Amino acid sequence: MSDQPMNKGPHDVGGESAAAVDTIDHGMSFWEKQANGLRSVLSGQRIVRIDELRRAAEDLGNQYSMLAYFERTTSALRTVLLEKGLITESELRAKMDEIRKRFNVPDEMESPLKNASQK
Amino acid sequence: MSGTKFDFYARKQSAHAHDHDHGHSPGSDHAGDAHTAIEVPREGPPSEFEIMSRAMQEILEAKGVITADQVRSRMEQFEEDLPYRGSRVVARAWLDPEFKQRLLEDGKAACAEMGIDLEADRLIAVENTPAVHNLIVCTLCSCYPRSLLGMPPSWYKSRNYRSRVVFEPRAVLREFGTVLPDRVTVRVHDSNADMRYLVIPLRPAGTEGWDEERLAEILTRDTLVGVTTPSGRR
Repeated sequence: MSDQPMNKGPHDVGGESAAAVDTIDHGMSFWEKQANGLRSVLSGQRIVRIDELRRAAEDLGNQYSMLAYFERTTSALRTVLLEKGLITESELRAKMDEIRKRFNVPDEMESPLKNASQK
Repeated sequence: MSGTKFDFYARKQSAHAHDHDHGHSPGSDHAGDAHTAIEVPREGPPSEFEIMSRAMQEILEAKGVITADQVRSRMEQFEEDLPYRGSRVVARAWLDPEFKQRLLEDGKAACAEMGIDLEADRLIAVENTPAVHNLIVCTLCSCYPRSLLGMPPSWYKSRNYRSRVVFEPRAVLREFGTVLPDRVTVRVHDSNADMRYLVIPLRPAGTEGWDEERLAEILTRDTLVGVTTPSGRR
């Protein structure tokens, strides 16, 4: 954020110089399609609003540019679901532990999000 | 690839029936198996974000907020239906000047005529002419006419496209292999959550007498975003 004007969020990139566009469509992985389906069902039923999700993504600050698109949207959905009380931190932690065990994922996997939540 | 679009569309019904057979296979009747039913082969362990997304979905399912079927059918719709709608709409506009006029006046209402419900409040169709070429972006994120084109391609969501297309559209177009004469004005439209754009490309020479289905084949996603232009084939 340091080199950004005060009122310009990390998402507001229109007009900045940048490299050539990679014109290949790299598609979406299965989990991304599933995450997109989840987000779409929730917004379609007005359980969460697109504007809420966008605000939560824009609030990611420095993390914004470090995360891939669906990592940002997943992180934003987490924020909004927690805010609305539709899920709790402890429920999410317990369910994520359960899923890690299901897939034999070691708990030492680190992520920017995990680090951020420990701040 | 675009040539297979309508075959795929026609096969949809039988594909659905097939899926449902799987859905009712032994072992998937109780709720606990709902997640494993849509498992696909993966490379490596799931990432933290994948685990988080899956966890949120499972918690919301357990609480009865949503069902796995809702998510699954939405995924299917994004794969099989939404990406092919925009080309049908514009093909009709090419063939029916009155429909095109209605599409230009109120995109949402015109799509509703075709049974297409747009989620955004407004759809603004912008028509290319020999003097004007239109191009769509969402500089702030990834707003896109998903109900007509499916999910945006990775480049549409990329920082490079979002940053540059508003001030050097001709340079960006060249990267897509699209070179426009200097006399053509390029208009760039920045979408937002409530207002989506769709380009009506210039109907190319050599497409006289083509029916809606054949026209739809050359109306690819990229032409409806405006990064390329359709060409009539022999």
